[in-house]
Amino acid sequence: MESEICQVTDEEKDILQEIMNIAFGKAAADLAEAINIFVVLSVPNIQLLKGAELPDYLRDELRDFTDISIVEQNFRGKFRGSAFLVFPAGAGKELISLLDTGHEMVFESGSIDILEKETLLEVGNLLIGACVGKMAELLGDLVTYSPPKVVIENHPHEIIPNNLFNSEYTAIVMKTLFSFDERDVSGFLFLVTTHDSVVWLQNSLARFLQQYE
Amino acid sequence: MNELSQLFNTVNIGLVVIDSDLKVRYWNRWMEFYSGISSERIIGVPLFKFFPSLNTPKFLRCCKSVLAFGNFSFFSQKLHHYLFPFRADSSFVSHFEFMQQSCSMGPLRDDATNITSLYLTVQDVTELAVYEHRLLEMNMRDGLTGIYNRRFLEKRLVEEFERHVRYSRNFSVIMFDIDFFKKVNDTYGHQCGDYILKSVSSKIASMIRKTDILARYGGEEFCCLLPETDLASAQILAERFRKSIAEIIHVYQENEVTETISLGVSELSKQYPTPSSLLERADGALYQAKGSGRNQVVALP
Repeated sequence: MESEICQVTDEEKDILQEIMNIAFGKAAADLAEAINIFVVLSVPNIQLLKGAELPDYLRDELRDFTDISIVEQNFRGKFRGSAFLVFPAGAGKELISLLDTGHEMVFESGSIDILEKETLLEVGNLLIGACVGKMAELLGDLVTYSPPKVVIENHPHEIIPNNLFNSEYTAIVMKTLFSFDERDVSGFLFLVTTHDSVVWLQNSLARFLQQYE
Repeated sequence: MNELSQLFNTVNIGLVVIDSDLKVRYWNRWMEFYSGISSERIIGVPLFKFFPSLNTPKFLRCCKSVLAFGNFSFFSQKLHHYLFPFRADSSFVSHFEFMQQSCSMGPLRDDATNITSLYLTVQDVTELAVYEHRLLEMNMRDGLTGIYNRRFLEKRLVEEFERHVRYSRNFSVIMFDIDFFKKVNDTYGHQCGDYILKSVSSKIASMIRKTDILARYGGEEFCCLLPETDLASAQILAERFRKSIAEIIHVYQENEVTETISLGVSELSKQYPTPSSLLERADGALYQAKGSGRNQVVALP
């Protein structure tokens, strides 16, 4: 078992950051080109954490937000883990106009809530799919996804990571800030990889570098 | 037939493969059964030709994101209800004209991992949706009378209040209750009381518009929200309520019982900054109606 604490070198972190940068740039370009969604993604920040440290880390990262909504989606491939998209409360409403739903707006009680939630899910699915998909592609993998879920809705945060993350094991946490052009909505995207994909990731990083050597 | 193609046709789920021109490549038996369209007829034909209702911005956006960058898309029943308009085949069809579906979409690739086509899965979730619908109904209706309950009323009051303030529209509220209701219960028993509550609420419910909201506020007290209605019209309506209830002779186990109601009416204005202050005003008017002898309407601007 390669369950020993993985040592990820600073160099590997740098490469990973670079790959994320390229991947997110491509993701943003794809979203703009294919479906006219213009999103800006910041340079990612990478941390190595034990599963047990995850909740505290996320809580700390999000302390400036009062109420938030979180869309969670798991990705499965050799590259494996969870993506969390954190929006400030009320972002769903702001984003409805981003997506042309082709639906008539109906002011029936509750329908706006559903529309808001579905908007978060769709935007989440697009953003996560594009970002994770591009990263996996650059690293020579293809991933599939679970349906996105709104795990926290306009609520103060209490983040409980799912059982994908063994408290003993190392996870790579990648954080990036996103914002939509011409929309006053920004938030965080966290990608948390599972322990078993860390080794794969290291090998893939090495392979990626070889292309340039 | 190999095992995988048997599986394709025997799973209890709709499976469709369409190419990048959105023409159908595969159509499994489940889809044949519910659509009534054989795979021979549909294969090679653009999907929109048979299902023009799928040609929406959202569906196209999902197809593009699958074909352009290998995304996966999900169509939940909650917002979309269904992608393919199929008749539901269970006996639960009362609320839904069409089978409720949960659908997903993803890429299919060739050996060089280029995306060549996309798949669609269609799952029948009608039964679940019916249960959910029932639970939601139970959550907003009063069990005895079948009209809305207080929880629902309070939610709608806030929504309607805000909407009418935003657009500076007229909005009125009637609060009413059955006079000397305790005496009915004491004289004829609670079953008779329940009978009268039901008959009063169904009479009033038959007199209001579809957009009005009638709810049982508590015990023998009711509340009616009247969107787009000024105080004078609300007062006329309240007077109609009063008269029609006073005219009913309730027959319960050979007892003939007559009842009257007292009503308070108020209208949205700047004096009432909150939904509850508007309701309090109507309640105050009802209190005055009670104090001046019952069986009457008091409207307070």
